[in-house]
Amino acid sequence: MSEQNTGRGRGAAPQPPPPIPTPDPKYAWPAKPALLGTAVKRIDGPDKVTGRARYTYDINRPGMIYGRMVRSPYPHAKIVSIDLAAAEKAPGVRAVLAWKEPGAEVVYQGDPVAAVAADTEERARDAAQMVRVRYEPLPHVSTEAQALAADAPKWHSTQENTRAGVRQETGDLEAGFKEAAHVVEATYSTHVITHVCLETHGAVCEWDGDQLTAWVTTQGVHQCAQQFAQSLGIPQSNVRVITQYMGGGFGSKFAPDVQGLICARLAKLANAPVKLMLDRKEEHLDTGNRPSAFAQIRAGVTNDGKLTAFDGRSWGTGGAGANANFPLPYLYQFPNRRRVHTDVYINAGQQRAMRAPGHPQGCFLTEILMDELADRVKIDPVEFRIKNAPPKAPNQMWVEYFQQGARQFGWEKRHPTGDPAPGPIKAGMGVSAHLWGGGGRGTQAHVDISSDGAVVVRCGTQDLGTGTRTLVTIVAAETLGLPTSAVKAEIGDTNYPFSPGSGGSTTAASVSPAIRITSIKALDALFARVAPVLGTAPENVVAEGGRIHVKGDPTKGLAWKDACKHLGTEPISVDGQWGEGLSSSGTSGVQFAEVTVDIETGVVRIKRILAMQDCGLIVDKLTAESQVYGGIIAAINFALFEDRLLDRVTGQMVNPNMEWYLLAGMSDIPTIDIVLNNMPERGVIGIGEPPTVSTASAIANAVRNATGATIRSLPLHPHKVLAALEQQKAGGTQ
Amino acid sequence: MKAFAYVNATSEKDAVAALKFDGIALPLAGGQDLLARMKDYIDTPERVVNVKNALDRTAAPTSGGGWRIGASMKIVDLLEHADIGKMYPAIIAAATDIGTPQIRHQATVGGNLNQRPRCWYFRNEEFVCYKKGGSRCFAVNGENQYHAIFGNDGPSHIVHPSSLAVPFVAYGATFRVIGSKGEREVAAAEYFTMPTLQNVLKENVLDDDELLTHVMLPAPGNVKTGHYEVRYKASHDWPLAFTTVVLAMNGGIVQSGRVVLGAVAPVPWRSKPAEDALAGKPLNEATAAAAAEAAVSEAKPMSGNAYKVQIARTAVKRAILNAAGIKTV
Repeated sequence: MSEQNTGRGRGAAPQPPPPIPTPDPKYAWPAKPALLGTAVKRIDGPDKVTGRARYTYDINRPGMIYGRMVRSPYPHAKIVSIDLAAAEKAPGVRAVLAWKEPGAEVVYQGDPVAAVAADTEERARDAAQMVRVRYEPLPHVSTEAQALAADAPKWHSTQENTRAGVRQETGDLEAGFKEAAHVVEATYSTHVITHVCLETHGAVCEWDGDQLTAWVTTQGVHQCAQQFAQSLGIPQSNVRVITQYMGGGFGSKFAPDVQGLICARLAKLANAPVKLMLDRKEEHLDTGNRPSAFAQIRAGVTNDGKLTAFDGRSWGTGGAGANANFPLPYLYQFPNRRRVHTDVYINAGQQRAMRAPGHPQGCFLTEILMDELADRVKIDPVEFRIKNAPPKAPNQMWVEYFQQGARQFGWEKRHPTGDPAPGPIKAGMGVSAHLWGGGGRGTQAHVDISSDGAVVVRCGTQDLGTGTRTLVTIVAAETLGLPTSAVKAEIGDTNYPFSPGSGGSTTAASVSPAIRITSIKALDALFARVAPVLGTAPENVVAEGGRIHVKGDPTKGLAWKDACKHLGTEPISVDGQWGEGLSSSGTSGVQFAEVTVDIETGVVRIKRILAMQDCGLIVDKLTAESQVYGGIIAAINFALFEDRLLDRVTGQMVNPNMEWYLLAGMSDIPTIDIVLNNMPERGVIGIGEPPTVSTASAIANAVRNATGATIRSLPLHPHKVLAALEQQKAGGTQ
Repeated sequence: MKAFAYVNATSEKDAVAALKFDGIALPLAGGQDLLARMKDYIDTPERVVNVKNALDRTAAPTSGGGWRIGASMKIVDLLEHADIGKMYPAIIAAATDIGTPQIRHQATVGGNLNQRPRCWYFRNEEFVCYKKGGSRCFAVNGENQYHAIFGNDGPSHIVHPSSLAVPFVAYGATFRVIGSKGEREVAAAEYFTMPTLQNVLKENVLDDDELLTHVMLPAPGNVKTGHYEVRYKASHDWPLAFTTVVLAMNGGIVQSGRVVLGAVAPVPWRSKPAEDALAGKPLNEATAAAAAEAAVSEAKPMSGNAYKVQIARTAVKRAILNAAGIKTV
């Protein structure tokens, strides 16, 4: 994923959106759509719930064998020797390879070292255990504090544990603090979590001579093909990548990765198709994570609640050699501010883009501070935020969302910090806001209309589970005046026209215009053939309600199928691509949370969440809402449960599973209400990332409102809640 | 998973004979624990003996007015058993949130009692701890937020994972055990063993060729029972701490009682101080609070789990209030 479409680092100073170019009126979105913005069920929903949908995991090829990787058990070591002999002789083994050479350094537990392929999955696992690797363990660093200690060992023999990151300064800090009537000074932090894709990373690779077909669970089929070609030294024209269905990526699945390249190499060595899917432990160790974020912050506010100054020293770790930047301060207007960041390296798997990279961290660090500042000046948190939010713009709707959301949520019932009710169960409400960029372009598409009326739309995008197949179908059906059942969408294959990887909430804005424009081009071609039959010129013909008819006179026309009969032996087959004016970027949202906290156990339960969110023109109400539900549930996990725990002594992960790496179950999910603000005039904007940004902050602020105790770090584990309550009893926190 | 031989035993005798094996033989029932251990290379048995069909899967009343539960009975069947639920409500309360509906439909009573520790050091092959024949407990200097706060003299600091063991000890159950040397009965409270350097590889008194076949529950008599679990997650999670209390009553006064805590020690932890604090006292909030305080007076938390002391205190207090019929939250 390229830096520019991650939205990384954009939050510091919200900008008004770039003007939306006027589209060619011929392609403009319809003023009175039949399907757009309505609730259309997922086209492939029945296939998914009946098991007909085939994910990469479900691909089985004739003669297929199974790959398994050998990984470093140590967080930091030098490889002394790799002995493949015993594994080569193990039952059923068809191929063995060393990925690293003796002398190489492994820098995290799970760092790939070798691989085997055998005729069953079990035999491959057993054979992998027989690869003898001798390591010389080296000292490691497993926490930010260990890495920053004065005499810390180095995470890599030739590299430092820190790297200076961004340094930003605006205004006059000293004057800002002078103007402040109150100053809050504290340290805030968020932890490392992993993507936990339900479908783990992996691939099935099959060679036919020097032609590779790879079924990969990926967010970018074309990028994957490019990287396979580059790494394997074959032309990209020899690589076909297929992703029909995918069980989650969240930013961690843009490349074949080591396991994909190993899979291809094992397939070549064994001369057989190879399936190599990672297990849950490998998934936690080596397929990315959301970096940690820490900040020591000093912030000032005037008596009437205007922010004056922000001084933040931040750091965080993205693991072994990967950076950990995030926007800070987030969203709110501090006229005078300074932020100095340091990336910290530890011996752990590298971070990858994860759903709104950087934003949940920056949002949490800033939003908890905001409630502390609001309490200092005794102003309601909603009012305080309104006072300091950027001015209204199409992509900056916070003030409206604060006001409208507060009314809908019943914010007036919120008590000041600390629930005065007797008994151990305390209730509280919290609020938080977020922004996201989005955008997207570059998609190409193809539309075929056959003489029997069949319509096929082909586009080399991929459906991460977000509903892209449904989106393609809706846009084509809307444009062609057909029901969704009359359009077949084919995606997820590099044999189809190019579309970029799905990251940064760019897919909807990149794909929708391409499908719209290509479908109109197909219609133009169809009208040129059918208009003479109707006795009129092509520009006087429209397609709606399953008919092709003369504009303004539905009686003078033909049913779609009858019209298509006139195509005879020359069907319509057109290409098209993304064009300006049908999509844009920049979204805003606000979320409210209500929780209860059991102050005798420290256990937090979330009662309800309200999300106010926009995403431009809504294509499908159901899949848009589904993105918000998914984002909020993921953020509940971030707030309460998920935590990548490395043993502080050995540096090995203690919870690489789904037993102790906690994830919300059904009973942990509260009522979630969603208010989607449809803004058709802005064109299509993606919604994959923004809804996951502010939930955790709203929850943490609600916990603070309930208990009166401030917890400045995530997750909100009972031990932290109890510790904060203890400290509060001792008079330690404000 | 290492290749293994599979024996499908159909009688108690066959099962015991199959377990008497020159090598590692392990019994399999619902498979909710053993299969995961095998897949993760924590255990590599040469022989797996399916005992599910060899052991009783029903519950039957005993002549003394109690109940006898077969080790192969599924958790879901226990939950749906009308008489056991009425006579021993704490057993049902403890069974309700075991695992998930899927696990409860597969897991057995015997399996729940005999499952190995859920300690994350034990469950990951990298950590060769005492329980895997190693010479240290990684929890001591490591991540011990879910480890023991009672019985922490070592060498191992696991918490016993069984939900059912706690009410069984509280109701004074006896376990029937068979083996190549015959049959014996062991009090539930004596069945689970505190770790020593000699027995740290096991959590109970079973020999390699022995099987637990039945849980015998005495008639409860005139008791009030209470059960309370503190859970971090509301679904599919191990409790942070929980408590069963079974109180013999004389009018409104507690004559004697059993207070047993779970998820806090290497065995179901019977709290003598809490029981003493209850004896002769009226069943009310002050008694509950005093007993809870007494229960945690002997806690010795580790570096990262002092918070569990407060959680255990709450679980004891609320279990007693629950027995008293006083609303807790």
